[in-house]
Amino acid sequence: MRIKLTSIMVDNQDKALKFYKEILGFKKKHDIPMGEFKWLTVVSLEGAQDLELSLEPNANPAAKTFQEAMFSQKIPLAAFEVADMNKEYARLKAAGVVFTREPSKAGPVIIAVFSDTCGNLIQLYQPPST
Amino acid sequence: MLLRHENFRNLCRARELLAETPEDRLFIRDIAREARMSPFHFIRQFEALFGLTPHQFRVQLRLDRAKLLLARGHYSVTDVCMEVGFTSLGSFSDLFTRRVGMSPSAYQRAARAMIQVPGVFPQELFPGCLSLMACLPASAFRNFQEAGAPVPR
Repeated sequence: MRIKLTSIMVDNQDKALKFYKEILGFKKKHDIPMGEFKWLTVVSLEGAQDLELSLEPNANPAAKTFQEAMFSQKIPLAAFEVADMNKEYARLKAAGVVFTREPSKAGPVIIAVFSDTCGNLIQLYQPPST
Repeated sequence: MLLRHENFRNLCRARELLAETPEDRLFIRDIAREARMSPFHFIRQFEALFGLTPHQFRVQLRLDRAKLLLARGHYSVTDVCMEVGFTSLGSFSDLFTRRVGMSPSAYQRAARAMIQVPGVFPQELFPGCLSLMACLPASAFRNFQEAGAPVPR
């Protein structure tokens, strides 16, 4: 058993693909139409390339309620690792991304939080240099 | 852009207000005032945070509600159109078809065909992606095979 696929709920899959691809810089892996929705996954160009993130529809009202509550409480639903926080922060800010927390120290790591425009807050973290 | 906590809170509150209040009773400029921003600034920040303008967000909510009502099957397309606040059946149908990928009546037929127990919504209407995976064609699993993992059936 291994971890190969994880998912995040989004309010609109087309909008999500645009953001995760064009703004964050991930690559589309699967895009298979399934009626109103699709099986949509992206991979990161850095690191393990076969690790997929599924952008799944939040069409279930229960999912929406959960997502909205977590957002309002400023709780991120995913975290991505970056090598250079200042560089990523500047790049995303220039692309119009809204941050709710600018890069700040949290113990040995540096974290920042932004909105993915699809109903989630995402945390970035830079691990301590060894 | 960095949102200060108070602005973030006001924008989340604005999203709730947009969802809770009928459109003819609370206009965007009123909600902007509640959020303590100018209408222009409010619309811009709302869009940057949620990916939709306040107006687009309202339209989205109306379509979501239309889908639920259509799936229940007790209402005609015209009833649903009026109920969610559209005045023209043509513009409702056009918009619904563009966003959902099928016309309101086709959506209603499809939902009806899936619902066996009255009042219980089939999974297909509210999927989680891991349940969508069960309907994937075998070719979608090629990369799983390449990775040496067994193919799910």
